Amino acid sequence: MPSRRDFLGAASLGAAATALGGCDSVLGAVSRRLGADVPDRIVAPSGPQIDDTHHLLDRAAFGPWPGDVERVKKLGAERWIDEQLDPESIGDAACRVRTAVIDTVHLPSSLLFEVRPKWVEKQLVTHTLLQAIYSKRQLKEVMVSFWTDHFNIAIGKSLCRHLKTGDDRDVIRQNALGSFRRLLGASAKSAAMLVYLDGRDNKKSEPEDRPNENYARELLELHTLGVRGGYTQNDVMEAARCLTGWVVREKWAPGTVEFDAKRHDDGKKIVLGKTIAAGGGAKDVDSLLDVLVAHPACGRFLAQKLCRFFVADDPPRALVERVAAAFESSGGDIPTLLRTILTSVEFRGSKGQKLKRPFRYVVSSLRALGADAHARGELQRYLERMGHKPFQYPTPDGYPNVAGEWLATMLWRWNFALALAEGRLGDAKIDVDELLDALGADKKNPVTPVMRHLLGRDPTPAEREALEAYLASEPGQRQPRRALALALASPAFQRH
Amino acid sequence: MGKRREKETTRRQFLRLGDGKKKDVVVVVFLRGAADGLNLVVPHAEPRYYELRPTLAVPRPDDTSADDSERGIALDDRFSFHPLLSPLLPSFRAGELAVVHAVGSDDQTRSHFEAQDRMEHAGRTEGSESSGWLARYLRQSGRKSGLSSAAIGTQLPESLRGAPAVSVLQTLDDYRLGKERDPELERALRALYAPAPAPGDALAPGDALASAGVDALGTLARLEALGVAGEGHRAAYRDDNFARGLREVARLIHADVGLEAASVDLGDWDTHFVQANLFPSNVSTLAHGLAAFREDLGDTMQRVTVVVMTEFGRRAYENSSLGTDHGRAGVMFLMGGAVHGGRVITDWPGLAEDQLEQPGDLAVTIDYRDVLAELVERRLGADSSTIFPGHEATDRGVFRK
Repeated sequence: MPSRRDFLGAASLGAAATALGGCDSVLGAVSRRLGADVPDRIVAPSGPQIDDTHHLLDRAAFGPWPGDVERVKKLGAERWIDEQLDPESIGDAACRVRTAVIDTVHLPSSLLFEVRPKWVEKQLVTHTLLQAIYSKRQLKEVMVSFWTDHFNIAIGKSLCRHLKTGDDRDVIRQNALGSFRRLLGASAKSAAMLVYLDGRDNKKSEPEDRPNENYARELLELHTLGVRGGYTQNDVMEAARCLTGWVVREKWAPGTVEFDAKRHDDGKKIVLGKTIAAGGGAKDVDSLLDVLVAHPACGRFLAQKLCRFFVADDPPRALVERVAAAFESSGGDIPTLLRTILTSVEFRGSKGQKLKRPFRYVVSSLRALGADAHARGELQRYLERMGHKPFQYPTPDGYPNVAGEWLATMLWRWNFALALAEGRLGDAKIDVDELLDALGADKKNPVTPVMRHLLGRDPTPAEREALEAYLASEPGQRQPRRALALALASPAFQRH
Repeated sequence: MGKRREKETTRRQFLRLGDGKKKDVVVVVFLRGAADGLNLVVPHAEPRYYELRPTLAVPRPDDTSADDSERGIALDDRFSFHPLLSPLLPSFRAGELAVVHAVGSDDQTRSHFEAQDRMEHAGRTEGSESSGWLARYLRQSGRKSGLSSAAIGTQLPESLRGAPAVSVLQTLDDYRLGKERDPELERALRALYAPAPAPGDALAPGDALASAGVDALGTLARLEALGVAGEGHRAAYRDDNFARGLREVARLIHADVGLEAASVDLGDWDTHFVQANLFPSNVSTLAHGLAAFREDLGDTMQRVTVVVMTEFGRRAYENSSLGTDHGRAGVMFLMGGAVHGGRVITDWPGLAEDQLEQPGDLAVTIDYRDVLAELVERRLGADSSTIFPGHEATDRGVFRK
C-alpha cells in the first residue's frame, strides 16, 4: 500500500507534468507508437448491409478503432470474443500510457479522503472515458458501463465522491467479466454502496428503532430479482435484517468496511420462503445473496437486461430465455452469458436497432476518427449536457438503456459532432488528412469512404445526396471536415 | 346499474371549460424521491404524530418551548405548514394555493420508479407503449403550436412521454446549433432526418429517431423566432436549478408562444437518513421557487395552474437513522388563479395504529387522479375519461366553480 507521502509526491509530479504544455503531445505520441494510431491503409466495409464484424465491434466494443474491422476479420469473430472474455490476455500498453497521469484511481479510499473530492471525481470520469476510448479490452469496458448502471451510485451523495473510485476499481472492474455472485457480494460490502443506499445505517430493530430497508429493497428490485420478481414487503424487511451491522469507518482508515456484531440482528430470517438460521452473524449477507442468486427471477431479470443492452430495446423472448437458462446452468458466469448473446442469430439480426447512448456516441466518434483525446474538461461537459456524464445518475436504477429516454439529446450530439470534426475541441484532436489518406478518399468528395468507415456499409442514395448537397453549398478547404461532421451527426451513426 | 348512475353524476359535477375559453397553462412540479407529506403539512392536532416522530416532528404552532422559527405555521385548527414553507403563505391566504392531503396512488410497490411511472402515466405501467397523462392531454388539445410543451432538465419526464412535440431544455439561451447559424447544415440535417420515403432507407416512416431530429430542428427555428435573450424578469429567483427552471417556464409563458404544459423536477426527497440534513433546504427551495414564479407571472397567474406532486409519502414513524422510509399517502399543492385555495382538502385517515396502512403508513384517501381529472375538465377543457382511462373521478372541489 503506498504511503501518503508517496502519493502526494506522485500527485504533484502528475500535476507538474500536466502543467507542462508539451506533456499531452508527448503522451499522445508515445501511445500512438504503442498502437493507438491510425494505420496507413484502412479497408472500410462496403455493401448495402452493415458488415457483421463492424456490427460486433459496434456492440461488444465502443465501436471500431481504425483498422479494427480488418484485424478482427483476420482473427475470426469467435476467437476475438474469447480473447475479449479473457482481458488479462490482451496487452494494453497504449491505454496505460494515456491514463498514467491519473494517480487517484490506484489509491485506497483512506488516502482519497485526503484529496479534494471534486478532483477525485473528475479524475475518475477522465479515467472512465480514456479507458473506454483506448483500452484494447473493449468488452470489459462495455461491461463496466453496464455494471456501473446496474449497481448505480450517484457520486454526489455524502461520502461517495471519496468512495466511488474504490467501488469502480475493486467491485465493478475487478468483477466485470467474472461471476455475478462474486460481483454482487463485492457490491454488497462496498463502502460506496453502503453509503449510497444507507446500508451503513441499517441496524437491528429496537423497540423504537427500525432497520433501514433502502439497500435491501434496491438489492431485490434492481440488483437481483426485478420489481416483478415475486418478493413481498415482508421479504424486503427480512432481507434488511440479514444486512444489519455493516458500517463504514469515517475516522482512522476512513472508508474501511467493518461488521459490527452489536448492530446485527442475529435472529432467524425467512426470505423468499428460505430460512436463514439464527446466529449467522456476518455470514448472513452471503446466505441472503445465495438465496437471491439461486432464485429463478434473478437469471431472468439479468438475461432481460443484458439482452436489452446488447440486442434490442424489446429483446427477442427466445434469446432471453436461452440466456436465463445459461445463467442457471453456469451458476451466473458472466462470460457464458455474453458468449450466448454475442454468437446468437438474434444478435446478428439486430444490426442498427439500438440507439447509442450519449456516452457511446461520444466514445465511438472518437474511436472511429482515431482521436488524440485527454477527456478532461470539454468532453465531460458535453456528456453533462446530454445527461449522461458517468456517475451522475441521481437514482439507484442507473442510466436507462432504451432509445426513448435519449431522444431529447439530438442537438447536443450534433454540436459535439461539429466541434470534434471542425477541430474546436481542445480535449480531443483529430488528424483529418491522415484518416482520409488511409481511407484512400478523394478530399473533394470523401462521402462514400467516410460513410463506409463510420457505418460499416455503403451510404444510401438519400444519405449520399444529403451529404453531397451540403458539401456543394460551400466548396473549399473545409470539405473533409464538413463531411465528417455531417456523417457523425447523421441518424445512422446515432444507431449501433 | 347503480354504479353507472353514480359515474354520470360525478361526471356532471365537473363543469367543463367552455370551448371559447382560454385554457390554463399547466406546470407540473414533480418532487422526486417521495417527499414527506407529514412534515410538509403537519397534522398538528394528532398527538400520535409527535409519538411516531420523537426527533423529526415539527413543533406545534403553539409550542412555546420551541423556537419561533421552528414551529409549524397554522393553516387551520388541524394542519400547519412546515416553517420553511412560509414564502407560500401569501398565496395560501389569498386563496390561490390549496393543499390536498393524504393523497396518492394505488401503487403498492413502494418503489420510486414504479410509483413515479405509474403516477406520470396515470394508471398504465405495463409495456413500453404507455404514454404520460400530459402527453395524452396535449394530443387531445389539438393545438399544434410550436412550443406546446417543455420539460426543464435533461431527461424527458414520463408524464410527457408520447407528447406530440416536447422540448427538453436546460435554459432557452443555449439552445443553438454550432458556432453560428448555418442554414445549409440545417437543410442537410432535415434531409437526413426527414427524407422523402425511398426503398432501402435507414429510417422507417414514423421512426422515433427521425421525429427527434425533426423536433430538434423545429425547436431551433422556434427559439430563433422567439429572440431568446434579454427578456427581463419581474421577480427575484434564487440561484438554484429549480428556480432557474421555473424562470425558464415563466419566460415561455410571457413570450406567449403557445406553451400548454411544462414540467420541472425537484429531486432529493428520499430522506432515509438524517432527514434534518436534506429536507429543510429542499422545502426552502420549493417554497422560494414557487413564490418567485407567482410574483413573476403576476396577473398572468389567472390562466396558469401549478401542480406539485410526488410519487408517495413517507412512513409515519421515523427510522433508526433519523430518517423516514417509503410510505403511502403524501401531499399535493395546487397554485393558480382558479384554484379554490386557502384550504387543506382532505379526507383525513388518522395516524392511530389501526388507521395506518401496514407497515405504518398514512393511508391514501384521495386518488391523485381525482385532482388531475378536475384540472383537466375545469381548466383545460378536455375529456378526463380518455386521459385517465378506467378511473371514476370524485369531485374534490379543488377549483372554483
